[in-house]
Amino acid sequence: MSKKILIPILVLFVLTVASIAGYTVYQYPFRIGYAPEQPINFSHKIHAGDNNIPCQFCHLYARRSIVAGIPSVQTCYNCHKLVTGTKNPEEVKKVLGYWDRKQPIPWIKVFDLPDFVHFSHKRHVAKGKTCQECHGPIETMDRVERITFFNMGWCVNCHRKNGADDDCWVCHK
Amino acid sequence: MEFKFRRRDFLKGLLSGGAVALGGCSPEKTEKVIPYVVPPDDYIPGVSKWYNSVCRECPAGCGAMVRQREGRVLKVEGNPKNPVNEGALCVRGQASLQGLYNPDRFAQPYARNQAGKMEKISWEDGINMLAQKIKQLSTEGKIGNAMFLSGHVTGARAKLIDTCSSLLGMKKRATYEAFSYESIKTAGDLCFGRKEVPFFVLEKADYLLNFGADLFETWISPVRYSKDFSRMRQNDGYYKKSVHVEPRHSLTAAGADEWVSIRPGTEVFMALGIGHELLKNGKAKLSAEESAGLNELLAAYTPEKVAADTDVPAPTIKRIAKELGEAESGLVLGPGMAGGGKNSVDTWVAVYLLNHILGGINQTILFGLGESIGQTDSYGDIQELTARMKRQEVPLLMVHETNPAYSMPGSAEFKKAIDQVPFVVSFSTFPDETTEFADLILPDHTWMERWDDFESRKGAHGLLQPVMDPVTDTRNFGDVLIEVCLKILGGPNEKLSSKTYYDYLLESWKGIHAASGETKSFDGFWEGALRRGGYFAAAQPENASFTKEIVSYKFMDAGLKGSANEFYFYVYPSGRYFDGRSADRQWLQEIPDPITVAVWDSWAEIHPQTAAKLGVKRGDVLKVRAGKSEIKVPAYIYEGVRPDMVAVQAGQGHEALGRYAMNVGVNAVSILPQDKEPKSGALPWLSTLVSLEKTGEKHLLVTLDGSLDDDNRGIYQTVTKAELEHGGDHGKGHHAEKDYQMYAPHEHPTYQWAMAVDLNKCIGCGACSAACYAENNLPVVGKKECGVGREMAWIRIERYFTKKDGTFRAGFVPMMCQQCHNAPCESVCPAYATYHNNEGLNVQVYNRCVGTRYCSNNCPYKVRRFNWYTYKWDNPLEQQLNPDISVRQMGIMEKCTFCVQRIREGKDRAKDEGRLAGEGDIQPACAQTCPVNAITFGNLKDPKSEVFKKSKDPRGYRVLEVINVQPAVTYLKRIT
Repeated sequence: MSKKILIPILVLFVLTVASIAGYTVYQYPFRIGYAPEQPINFSHKIHAGDNNIPCQFCHLYARRSIVAGIPSVQTCYNCHKLVTGTKNPEEVKKVLGYWDRKQPIPWIKVFDLPDFVHFSHKRHVAKGKTCQECHGPIETMDRVERITFFNMGWCVNCHRKNGADDDCWVCHK
Repeated sequence: MEFKFRRRDFLKGLLSGGAVALGGCSPEKTEKVIPYVVPPDDYIPGVSKWYNSVCRECPAGCGAMVRQREGRVLKVEGNPKNPVNEGALCVRGQASLQGLYNPDRFAQPYARNQAGKMEKISWEDGINMLAQKIKQLSTEGKIGNAMFLSGHVTGARAKLIDTCSSLLGMKKRATYEAFSYESIKTAGDLCFGRKEVPFFVLEKADYLLNFGADLFETWISPVRYSKDFSRMRQNDGYYKKSVHVEPRHSLTAAGADEWVSIRPGTEVFMALGIGHELLKNGKAKLSAEESAGLNELLAAYTPEKVAADTDVPAPTIKRIAKELGEAESGLVLGPGMAGGGKNSVDTWVAVYLLNHILGGINQTILFGLGESIGQTDSYGDIQELTARMKRQEVPLLMVHETNPAYSMPGSAEFKKAIDQVPFVVSFSTFPDETTEFADLILPDHTWMERWDDFESRKGAHGLLQPVMDPVTDTRNFGDVLIEVCLKILGGPNEKLSSKTYYDYLLESWKGIHAASGETKSFDGFWEGALRRGGYFAAAQPENASFTKEIVSYKFMDAGLKGSANEFYFYVYPSGRYFDGRSADRQWLQEIPDPITVAVWDSWAEIHPQTAAKLGVKRGDVLKVRAGKSEIKVPAYIYEGVRPDMVAVQAGQGHEALGRYAMNVGVNAVSILPQDKEPKSGALPWLSTLVSLEKTGEKHLLVTLDGSLDDDNRGIYQTVTKAELEHGGDHGKGHHAEKDYQMYAPHEHPTYQWAMAVDLNKCIGCGACSAACYAENNLPVVGKKECGVGREMAWIRIERYFTKKDGTFRAGFVPMMCQQCHNAPCESVCPAYATYHNNEGLNVQVYNRCVGTRYCSNNCPYKVRRFNWYTYKWDNPLEQQLNPDISVRQMGIMEKCTFCVQRIREGKDRAKDEGRLAGEGDIQPACAQTCPVNAITFGNLKDPKSEVFKKSKDPRGYRVLEVINVQPAVTYLKRIT
């Protein structure tokens, strides 16, 4: 094969592979179904589903702040110093390990908004929105998975449907 | 929820794929959320907390309120509960954040090694080294000459230094402040037998005659006096007059109703001349006997003679004397640092005498309320110390919160002297000029990181509390001193029983509690003080009586005689750099000087006549020579100075103090001759004549004003009292035809945010601009970029020179986005990035902006700012960024938002309480910090709101009203 044909083919091949790889990478933290492995196999199903613990028992800032808050290790420990866990005792041990080492748990963020967006959990909770309306049926998930694509259209549609303000400066900061 | 593979996403993927392929296959990392192990008490992420403290940027000691979120300090505002500043803060106070996060502040202790280089050491080593040194000097019997040299400290800190000094057998500490008002103190001593800085009650006065005190910038307590000045002028409907007598048209002169230009150093004679007139007119509120004595003293100072001395026309002197005599409670003030010549005590004695004649002593001038700045040593005392140091009589000098190597003139030879001190310890947070000579550096916390207290004036005990963890490895000076002391003494004793400075502070406050007579327990008292930001007792003034011996007083002139080719050298302090200590704050370098609007520089102000004589144009470098010393500085030409003088601002020209302060401008104080005021020992800033020489060099002097005046476009509008009394001014400005509309008007169902700026109150200090920099993540672009008009200030103070009936004046117009109803920027945006929202705001959506800059081209107010680069913050300055606002990047247009994040917050709070945001819920950063409350913000839909009333004020006008853009900002004309 002559170089004249080989080089364009090679270039095209590299570009195609790079594009597919790039697309995958681009989508990685943003895609639907994103469910990264967490440092501890924490199950929302056991806590919020089977045991009916209210969301705001652990995510205690949701009604008071823009952020809901990831529970501190102390919050976990307060129960798990007594509750050893029947289904995953070794995961509970991991939690106690973090507590003993006085080390925070490096959770991986599943739901994220860009830094230029102002979003207040407080306002939505105060309006009576349930957590599931945005985050999905978390109480059924063993590992948290993103089921919503948090883009602008999704936010605006809901705001319009509920008669909320849809001015740009409500969210853009 | 469905998700389709869309064309746009494919293209994005294709592009980022390419980028990844080129960038070495590094996919974006997943983000982590790290919670606390144990969260601090009452911690709520995403919610800011405000802690009360005391601003320590200058000796005034205003109350500060520090905003902290997620462990970081984000903003400083005035503490409304502190009686000194009542919620306002000056430009320096706002910029204190850049001291906290200064990239050049010391990261840990340093010690000089064998080779003479500074070397990082641990805190333990540093403390041991100091303890060792003191022990060694003790054994050698030299400790009696070791001493502290501190800036103005009060309260527990001062007590601790003095206790430790005496326990260790050291000499009593010396205190040096560059601005320490010795002439006021000495004149007080001569007139009343009270050597103190009294409290001047401006708001009680109905006529102010000011011989040069820079009320708005550095003088004693600038926020306090700005506030009081404004209150004085606004009392009973804007009719109180103030006259400013100064050779230079300073910021305070611009704020006054009348500026009288006087020959430098002759203020004393004008004061005496006015006294003469008052007595002659029978306006003296004195006994007949006393009047007779004074008559004799003042007989020689006829207006005609005084006019010859001072260059102020006799009719002006007579008129001012008449006005002052007719006022119910006139107040007279003397010069500050600038204009303080070798006769500044005499000037102040004359000023006190005038006040006495007016019956103002114990009425508008109160003694016994002691401004604590009165406690510092005089410049003469420090000169004496310098001499001792030079003779190698000081074996150990511990420098704390002061920088004499910079702020004393070169001729005082402080640098030579400190070089002779065998061991110098510096507790400075920043690498300043004095610290250059240190053998050991034990850096102190900034005021936002430490426990401390400060007594700004008698009874006003401010309390400082740490608002965040120290940014670098610094330690509280108090803790270090206690540790060193205990190490040497072997343990606590009854004089020093505390092991930490916090305990020492508590002990000290137990004393304040006992003296306060409060019935509640100490814990309750302490908690209350923490919450309030201090304990503020109302101190009672003490009666002062004027000495009868004044009749034999000899008033001197300033002793400034020279040849015709010499000029008065008029050094004046800067409201932005104070004595030079805050020149390392980028914001203060980039916020322009209020009068010249110059940035990042020093300049020599000369009169156009002088410029013509010398053949210089703006930016031509002049050689200013005083004796053997000289500085080279570019010329700035305007009519705000007399033809026989040259004025240079102090505070620049640092040889140390970090990257932002170094190599910027010149240090004007450095060429002052070795001299002192004979009676008080003060450094006379007006003490020399200089020769001016054109060097032929050119210097890029960047000023941010487009032109000197407003070209009669009615941007800065004034109205006379007479016009106002006769029902407004007609025929001024051009009004647009209001009904003419091309588009349907916007609807504002609930809120219509609007602003009113009262130009009669605005003093042009620039605090609003600094507050905006802090609140809105504005980048600093540097001198070169400023020079091509790329500064990023969202609110700027526009300065316009006016000349009416031969009088030269400067006027100020704070200019920010006018949030126009018919905004010209909106209709030209091709990306719909800017539009008018239902709350009357002109929205800028950064994500939509593609950077065409059409909007900026079409903006008649030139308030839109374009990001020419992705600006960087030097680490750790980025920690100050406000998380409620996006940080913009290259190619984005931005502008004032009326602090939309604060509007959002105010509405949020109101919603929590189930109501609409009303009056007082929302204050933009600029309005919050304004010392004179010139800016009013509110909802125009609420007819009871202040802003609504002001929008209908007869003085109200809109800038460039004729183009019918219908701004939401109403300006109220200045009354002249």
